[in-house]
This record gives sequence, C-alpha cells and structure tokens, in this order.
Amino acid sequence: MSDFLKLDRLTLGYGDTVAVEGLDFAMQPGELVALLGPSGCGKTTTMRAIAGLMTPMGGTITLDGRDITRVPPNKRGVGLVFQSYALFPHLTVFENVAFGLRLARVARAELTQRVDTALAATGLLHLAQRLPRELSGGQQQRVALARSIVVEPKLLLLDEPLSNLDARLRLEMRSELSRLQRELGIAMIYVTHDQSEALALADRIIVMRDGRIEQSGTPDAIYERPASVFVAGFMGFENTFVIHNGLLAGIAPIGFEVRDAVGLAWRPHSVVLGQGPHRGTVAGASYLGQVVEYLLTTPLGDIKAEAPASAPRHAAGDTIAFDLPEAGVVRLPRA
Amino acid sequence: MFQDRRIGLWLLAPATLFVVVGFLVPVIILLSGAFRTDGGWSLGNYLDFFGSSLNREVFWRTFRLGLTVTLVSAILGYGVAMAVVDKGPKTKGRLIAMLVLPLMISPVARTYAWLVILGRTGFINVGLENLGIIERPLRILFTETAVFIGLIQLFFPLMVLPLISALENMPRDVVPAARVLGANWLTVFWKVILPLTKEGLVVGGTLVFVGSLTAYVTPAILGGSKVLMLETLLYQRVSVANDYASAAVIGVILIAMSVLTNILLKKLASVRKA
Repeated sequence: MSDFLKLDRLTLGYGDTVAVEGLDFAMQPGELVALLGPSGCGKTTTMRAIAGLMTPMGGTITLDGRDITRVPPNKRGVGLVFQSYALFPHLTVFENVAFGLRLARVARAELTQRVDTALAATGLLHLAQRLPRELSGGQQQRVALARSIVVEPKLLLLDEPLSNLDARLRLEMRSELSRLQRELGIAMIYVTHDQSEALALADRIIVMRDGRIEQSGTPDAIYERPASVFVAGFMGFENTFVIHNGLLAGIAPIGFEVRDAVGLAWRPHSVVLGQGPHRGTVAGASYLGQVVEYLLTTPLGDIKAEAPASAPRHAAGDTIAFDLPEAGVVRLPRA
Repeated sequence: MFQDRRIGLWLLAPATLFVVVGFLVPVIILLSGAFRTDGGWSLGNYLDFFGSSLNREVFWRTFRLGLTVTLVSAILGYGVAMAVVDKGPKTKGRLIAMLVLPLMISPVARTYAWLVILGRTGFINVGLENLGIIERPLRILFTETAVFIGLIQLFFPLMVLPLISALENMPRDVVPAARVLGANWLTVFWKVILPLTKEGLVVGGTLVFVGSLTAYVTPAILGGSKVLMLETLLYQRVSVANDYASAAVIGVILIAMSVLTNILLKKLASVRKA
C-alpha cells in the first residue's frame, strides 16, 4: 500500500455510543482533504482518533507505512489545530510555538531560528513576547497554526480552525492556509461544516453523515454531481425533492425520465419563472444586483428561484407559474 | 452603591467593632504577653521555650507533619481531582458529594472512628493477626503515623476541592494540545497542568498546612500525650501547667508559621507566572 494515511474499518465511540462506524479512507502525501458534515456527524471524533486522542473500538490507522492505531499522541508525528486554539495561556507566543521543539530537545540556536521562521510565516514576529490573552482571535489562530507547523508534522489536522473568526478574517485566513499548505507541501485534513470553505480549500472533499462517509470526491465532482439528497442539501442546492411513487415530493408529475434517481435537485438559477406546470406564491423577493432572488411558497414546499434583474419583476403575493426543467436537474441516486 | 459614602462606613461599624473587641484586642494582648518577662519587653520567653528539647521536638514534629500532610494530600489530591474532572456531570456530582460528606461530620466523630480502625483490637490489627501476618498487635495508635493518617483524612477535601475547581477552569483542549505536540503525561503535568492550577494548589496547600498546624482534636485523640503537637502542647501549658507565657509563645509561633506559609506559597505561584 502506498497510501500515506489509511483508515481501515475504523470504528469510534464513547462508552455505548458509536460515533463513527467502519470508516475506510485513504489519502496521498501533500493532499488537502476536507471532512465536511453537520455537527455530530463524527468528523471531529475521526480527527481526534487520527491524532491519537481516543482509542478506536475497532479498525486500524496507518500513517506513512506504520500502524499507529495504538501509538500514543506524543509519538505519532501528527499535528492538530484545535477549534478553541488551545494555546497555553501561561506562556508567551514564542514559548507556545517553541513548546514542541523544547520537548524534542532541539538545540537553542536551531530552536530560536525555527520558531522565528514559523512566526514570520504567520506574521507574528512582532508579537513574540505577548501572552495569548493579549492577542485578537485571528492572531491566536495564527499562533495555533505556527505552533503546529513548527514541529514539522507528517500530517496536520485542522478542526474547524476558522469557525471562531469573523467573516472577513475567515476569508483572509483561508487564503493564508492555502498558501502555507502549498509552501510546506504538508498533508492536511481540514474539518469543517462550511461547504464554501471545503470547496475553496480542498483537493478532495469527504462528506460525512451519521458516522459514515456519504460521498468522497473532488470539489467539482461533489458540487456538480452530489450522490444523495443529503449531500445535495449540504452543498447548497436550495431545491431538493424526494420522489414518491414517481411523483415529485409525492404530489406533482415529473415531465421527464427520472431513471433510477430517488431525489431531484435544482439550483435557484435553474428554476424557470413565469411559465410551466407548477404554481407558487411569491413570499419574498431580494434584489442582489445581477439577479433577483425569489422565495416561493408552493405545494412542493419552499422554492428558491433566481431571475435576471432585467426580467419582469414579480411582487410579493403574486401567484406565478414556474417550471423545474430537465435542463439543470441533478439526479440523486440515494436519499 | 450609596450616594453618601459615610452610609457605607456606618454599615461597616458593627462588624468592625466585633473584630476589634473580639479578635484584635485579644490577639494584641496575646502577642504582647509573648514578648514580656517580669514586666519588661524581651525575647526571654522564646529563649526559654526553645531551650527545652521537648519543645523543640514538638515544634519540628508539628512542622514536619504539616509539611508531609500537605505534600501527600497534594499528590493524592491531583490524582483524585483529575479523575473526578474527567467524569460525566452525574458521576462527577456524586464523587464531589462523597468528598464533601466528611466535612459535614464532626471531626471528633471522625477521629474516634480511627480509634476503632487503628486501635490494639481495631480492624487493622485483628485483620492482620487473623491473616497470620503479625503475631502481636502493632502499635499504630499514639504514634506520628496515626496523627498523619488522621490529619490527611481530615484535610484532604480542602485540598481536592480547590484543585477540582482549578482543573475545571483550565482552558479546553490544552492537555490534548500538549500531548499532540509531543509531551508525555509527566511533562503535561509539569508544564501545563501544574502552572495552570497553581492558584488552586496554593489555596489547598495553605488550608491543609495551616489546618494541620492548628488542628487540636486529631493530635489529641490519635497522638495523645506521647505525640504532642504545638496545639496540644499549648493546651497542656495552659490547663495543666498554668503557664501562659509559653502558651502565648506557641500562639505567636503558630500565627507566624501560617502567615509565612501563605506569603511563601503566593510568591511561589507568582514567580512561575512570569
């Protein structure tokens, strides 16, 4: 096996509750994989198991050709950036970053040089003597990152690293992370519940649901061809329907061949307004510049549709016809 | 809170009066008594006190027991506190209740229970004899060991509770973070847990040390007149020998030891912080 990291039928849990069941997964050196899923899907648990912070109930973890299933976390060579950053509040930024190197008994001159390099790479050099509580959230997040990369782990795990930052900082840190990953060429697993973050950063996305892998593939593949109703909903398809007895949501006829799909999904811009077999009431309209976004109340449920701003406008309360055409439909083979 | 600050001062008056009349005045009388011989100021009482080898022995025994009781409860305390903090809320509540429960039982009753356990015909001796390990009963009662056991049991909760609260106030995930960065459990304790819980340790350590110095019932019952501590000696001086000068000296020594310990421990805690 040439896989860099391999999880083989990994089963994880706390006491009687199984959080992750029979997880199979492999990744290549230098790859950035995003673990995507709603909270409680087992992604953080999986991460903790890879770092060695919990013992699996079953299965094995292999890293770089070595079975690390029972290896304690301090001997794995895996870095982890926590959602809470978990900085040491009693140590300065410099000492936080130097923590792992001191444990590895790195000589003083090399230690100073490596810590300074890591601080420079994350733009923290001028804050080296501060304590964590004197830093902003974004700066703390950089310290956590610098502390993890300075020890040169074989694999870096990031647990929702940007979720505590405000929107602007999040974008900034996102591109920073992507730059660092390119420069270091280090394999990373990035846990998130934010699909746009996963799409922007990852080479590959793994969507998790209830402790299992729901779908795995490149960002394009997952965005264009979600494999299930669940993934479609998670990837921002606003209009996702289940097929019952050959009818859309069990009530409306479908004007085309559904093949073996159990669900159908349309993005807002694929919904045709002003004509078609379905009727709905406009519940709200938002002008977004290029387009106007409509929210329709229909027997099928709420529908989100987009129309060019130049098209005739519909006002709230209007009843309009709309179509869910075959052009633009995504067939979902699983629930 | 008040428009006129004098109202606040008036509210303080009854408590202040109580403290001055009930505490400060007696303490000053006591302290001055300890520095007076034959109507003049002197350190003669101290020279007399430390001149006696029995008194020196009692002083060192008190100091030694206080120190060992504090150290041992700190070591055991960290173990128990870490185990408790790791549990779910339900188990944690029950364990803490079990730790607090002894505090609600009179120290006299608790200490007498040790007589039943440690005595000549107590559980330990009878058990060991029946197992054929010993032929004649061990003398545990009225030894330093008995006082040590009694004091540990008496003051252990006062160490564990501050440690539990300190451990709970530690930021989330710092321990796993240190583990992932390469620290073994011992290093995690020295470099992360200890510096982040030292305030709890200072509180617990002060309570246990000062408590052990000033405990009366436990050394009186478990140590008897064979294992005197400063507190039991003080009582003996006053009620048996009617020797108020020595008693005052012992009082001053106890106060000095308590205050010094507190200052020292606080210093220790803040040095590590920088």
